[in-house]
Amino acid sequence: MRGGETTMSPYKGVMVLGEMAEGRLAPITMELLGCGRRLADELGEELSVLLMGGKAGALAQEAIAYGADKVYVGEDSLFDEYNSDAYTQWIASFCQKTLPSILLIGHTDIGCDLAPRLNGRLKGGLSMDAVDLTIDPSTKLLISTRPIFGGNAYAKVVSKSARPQMVTIRTKIFSPAERNDSRQGEVILVEEKVDPSVVKVKVVDRIKEEVEGVKLEDAEVVVSGGHGIGSAKNFEMLWELARLLGGTVGATRRACDEGWIPVTRQIGQSGKVVSPKLYIAVALSGAMSHIVGCLGSKCIVAINKDPEANIFNVAHFGIVADYKEVLPALIQKFKEQRSG
Amino acid sequence: MASREVFWNISYGYLVYLLALVSIGIWLYGFYQRYRVWRLGRPDERSKEIGKRIGIFFRHIIVDVFAHRKFLRQPFSGIMHLTIFWGFIILLLASAVDAISYYSGFHLRGSIYLWFSLISDLGGFLILAGILMAAFRRYLWKPKSLNSVLDDGILLTSITAIIITGYMIEGLRQAATEIKPHPDWAVWSPGGWVFAKIFIDLSEGVLRSWHKFLWWFHSILTIGIILYSGLAFSKLQHVIVSPLNIFFRSLGPLAAPSPIDIEKAEILGVGEIKDFTWKQLLDLDACTNCGRCEDACPAWATSKPLSPRKLVQDLKGHMLKLYPNPVQSNENSSSLIGEGPTEAEIWACTTCAACQEACPVYVEHILKIIDLRRHLVLAQNKMPESAQLMLRNMQMRGHPWAGAQSLRLRGDWTTNLDLKVLAEGDQISTLLWVGCTGALVDRNVEVTLSLTRVLKAAGVDFAVLGEGETCCGDPARRAGYEFQFQLMAEQNIEIFKTHHIQEIITSCPHCYNIIKNEYPKYGGQFKVIHYTQLLWDLLKQGKLNLLNEIHSTLTYHDPCYLGRYNGIYSEPRQILKMIPKATLKEMKRSREKSFCCGGGGGHMWIEKQPGTQKISQKRIEEAIKTEVDTVVTSCPYCLQMFEESIENKDSLKAKDLVEMVELSLKKSS
Amino acid sequence: MHTIVCVKQVPDPEIPPAKFKIDPVAKKVIPPPGVPPVISVYDERAVEAACRLKDKHKGKITVISVGSEKSTDVVRHAISMGADDGYVLQDEAFENLDSFGTAYVLGKAIQKIGGYDLILCGRQAADWGAGQVGSILGEILGLPVITFACDIQAEDKKLKVKRILKDGFEVVEAPMPALVTVSSEIGLPRLPAGMALMLARRKQIPIWKAKDIGADLSELDRSKAHTEITEIFIPTRETKCEMISGATPAEVATNLVSKLAKMI
Repeated sequence: MRGGETTMSPYKGVMVLGEMAEGRLAPITMELLGCGRRLADELGEELSVLLMGGKAGALAQEAIAYGADKVYVGEDSLFDEYNSDAYTQWIASFCQKTLPSILLIGHTDIGCDLAPRLNGRLKGGLSMDAVDLTIDPSTKLLISTRPIFGGNAYAKVVSKSARPQMVTIRTKIFSPAERNDSRQGEVILVEEKVDPSVVKVKVVDRIKEEVEGVKLEDAEVVVSGGHGIGSAKNFEMLWELARLLGGTVGATRRACDEGWIPVTRQIGQSGKVVSPKLYIAVALSGAMSHIVGCLGSKCIVAINKDPEANIFNVAHFGIVADYKEVLPALIQKFKEQRSG
Repeated sequence: MASREVFWNISYGYLVYLLALVSIGIWLYGFYQRYRVWRLGRPDERSKEIGKRIGIFFRHIIVDVFAHRKFLRQPFSGIMHLTIFWGFIILLLASAVDAISYYSGFHLRGSIYLWFSLISDLGGFLILAGILMAAFRRYLWKPKSLNSVLDDGILLTSITAIIITGYMIEGLRQAATEIKPHPDWAVWSPGGWVFAKIFIDLSEGVLRSWHKFLWWFHSILTIGIILYSGLAFSKLQHVIVSPLNIFFRSLGPLAAPSPIDIEKAEILGVGEIKDFTWKQLLDLDACTNCGRCEDACPAWATSKPLSPRKLVQDLKGHMLKLYPNPVQSNENSSSLIGEGPTEAEIWACTTCAACQEACPVYVEHILKIIDLRRHLVLAQNKMPESAQLMLRNMQMRGHPWAGAQSLRLRGDWTTNLDLKVLAEGDQISTLLWVGCTGALVDRNVEVTLSLTRVLKAAGVDFAVLGEGETCCGDPARRAGYEFQFQLMAEQNIEIFKTHHIQEIITSCPHCYNIIKNEYPKYGGQFKVIHYTQLLWDLLKQGKLNLLNEIHSTLTYHDPCYLGRYNGIYSEPRQILKMIPKATLKEMKRSREKSFCCGGGGGHMWIEKQPGTQKISQKRIEEAIKTEVDTVVTSCPYCLQMFEESIENKDSLKAKDLVEMVELSLKKSS
Repeated sequence: MHTIVCVKQVPDPEIPPAKFKIDPVAKKVIPPPGVPPVISVYDERAVEAACRLKDKHKGKITVISVGSEKSTDVVRHAISMGADDGYVLQDEAFENLDSFGTAYVLGKAIQKIGGYDLILCGRQAADWGAGQVGSILGEILGLPVITFACDIQAEDKKLKVKRILKDGFEVVEAPMPALVTVSSEIGLPRLPAGMALMLARRKQIPIWKAKDIGADLSELDRSKAHTEITEIFIPTRETKCEMISGATPAEVATNLVSKLAKMI
């Protein structure tokens, strides 16, 4: 809906669409709450969060502890499995009643599917994959910063009059909210049920797959090995690291020619061109013919014994060391991070 | 006066001519049946040029056929075939003389007759010597590229039997009529003479009956072999089919594919054996399974599945399986690709033409492979993923180097250079065509820059197209993506014409070959020079002087598309020899025998067979064995492949020829 | 089976990072000269998905593109892959639209074409990458929307779509007609070749204006835009490589991980 942004506007407050994972609040929810709290404070408005699912009620207090003023609970076990049609219809109806000014959603599997549809239904203004959010002090409008052109540039986006102002926020950008168990808040049960006739698309199967399924060109993390890896067996370490980080493994032409890894993994001039967020170049010299395949990476980390290796000319971070020593330590560190 | 009675002791000897005629007739029938199978193929332009071909055939017959130029590249089998060939020519002439004698009544006498006998016997010896070499090679030595089938055994034993019985017949006659009264004549037929001495004590009756028996045996065996050859289409047919194939060999540029009419074509490439032209099917029968192409093939040498010999024989087998005779067809029984040559074989070829260079009967392997690739790419959209990535990039960005644009754009190499970059409306007569590799790949950009500096130092007036240059189309054409090539060729020709370009200097032999030899079919006729030719001219004219010493041992690697495809061997060497203090050593496989770097035929981009040695590695091994410190080449693909494969850059460097020239140019003060 | 695919022509993403230039005043990206635009990566995958369905089920593919006259190139590219017809939607009123505006124009064109079973879009445009047009279009047309498809099968009047998730896949079923956005996991698009390429050369590609599709110009008024771009900028890139060290491998790892957490 479109309403003007005046003090008379019926749209108020910051709403977070909370996500749950394995019966607990998903980490993204805490990040959204942290960001949302800041925005709400700047606007002098309320921060609310919507939790959906069978266990939603049980988590309400926790959400308050993380900064929410109001927790809306849609306690229906139907919501435990994400369904695009059901969520879109129910949340749209919910938003049309609660009229939030700002709607924060995580840039996750759910968020990427839900947000555009929701936006289409609510006719608000959506900015996807935001990496920064601010409130313009004079207009009180939400300004989101999002990548464009494959991350080569960034755009600042506002919705002057369309409401709600919707954003999907990239994970791990904002720090999670601080927990304060003494915080007080309101828990509101939302009675409405899903209109079953809206569900046209049914989930038939869900397969959790080993990350090998992620295509090289679309992986967010690529761990790449070169001629210095030495053998097919040694590539297993790279696979372990890649899996941990939710990415996949690539290789240089030489490593593929040696037969250590299938040639479909080859990155470079005569292989694939990738542009992940993180590219870890392990024991590869960084010949231009390879570099050309990974230059689009947001962040390149190079591990190589040779301090003169060309890869250090294009990497953001470099480690001069034997990968056989550094990789296990990295794997250990990431494991600790994940479980923590 | 020395002489002999033709048809001595033989009554109804003339029957042999009758039988011969009948067997030739049957042979012709057999040949005609196979001819009709060839004609199941599509039309070929070559059927139109018969008159011109007759002239060429007879002009070249001395070198190619009589002197066995290509055969002698493998000395042992070359000599083996030479002796058999000449032996049979002699015996054929001898038999013709005998026939003339019989019908005309004019008989050779005296010393002419004696010399005639000696030469005739020599013919037989030559054949026996050759057969012995052949049998030794086939059954004892057993080189890997030589396959043996029953037919080979049949022919070797039959021919031996025919020759030996020939001498026996001679000996029996001499024992009966000559050896006692004229021993001095008998030695002029040494083969017969040996047997005559063995039979000397037999009675005349025995001699005559054995003579008669063996004479008819010998004649019927000979006729039998002709019949066998014709009806079973034995390898012996090559005696007729191979010269026929040589007659119809390509007179145009090497392995230049035929255009496909983009508007009207119904068949794209070759998906069925009938899609080949009749000449391509003739090739399959001209092949004698000798294996020289296999010996020369760099893919086979590095354990790839491709053997040119096997490819041709598989196609032949498929053709005969589907069309055992021209009327019956088992068309549903199998598909060409997969049951004939496999996709892996089809894609393994680098189009280096070593196979065609080695083939004594001018079989054309490459165009068959390109035709098969055309079918896979154009009709079935099937190709290795690496080829698809490259071809998609050709189609989308106009060059094969996927990913390269993330590093540099097409025209970037001209930045900050004092060069004429053609803009719209400009005209220039000489264009330097840089090529995709020379503009987009770092190591090769260095070569391009070096070339521009050298040309300027020599005062050559030229311009470049800069970012306006797109690919010449060679990688697309060689990978079977014909339509894209055609679009590019037409586009480039248009650009050349708008700028009124007459002369094109190229850095890359692939660009050189395709613009010079293949663009004319699309309306683009230009004078195309490879830079090595130009540099040699400039050196001869004194416009360049190589004065700086370079203390290096060099070897020159002949790029396939410059050497075998275009015959440019000497200019690069002349240039290198002019560098003071540089020593030029030749690798064992040089000039026409040069061993491919592995980059042609789209293979700069097509994935290698893992677990096999890279072709470029094999070539580098050879360079290392030649004990040089620098391998010099004049092709961007070769340079790339070598840079990639040289492990120890301190012991062996890869350089382009123009870089060596620039190093040796006296710096102007 | 009739599939309509929406495609967009974008500046070639494959350029040296240093050549990426913007005009901050006009809020436009300036592609380097001599680099022709290409079809958006995901849209090409959508065309590929449509072609695969056509291989199996026969039928027809129509391609539409909102853009300039040059956009006929990408429509022609789609036809050379196997599409049957294509239209370019070009009008002054169609320039600089936001996601809603673009979806509106596409919706109007699709309503004019009619008779479809499936609409395919790329999951986001390779240039501005807003990632919404498909879903909003689905809303406008009242269709079920399935996003991030990496495989599409059609059986009877039903779609079976495999969707990409961060850690696996999901398979959904939906009735037709429906709208599906396609992700690049669907695989390498086919090479334009053979008969399709020959056809594409001759094909006429009509250009539709606002009046041809019955677009209400007031819907496309700039002042009605849902989102606006106020600024574009290029982040400064550090080209210097920061070397990470430490006394032990574990320390090196710790240092690296903390640096990375800030960056990504």
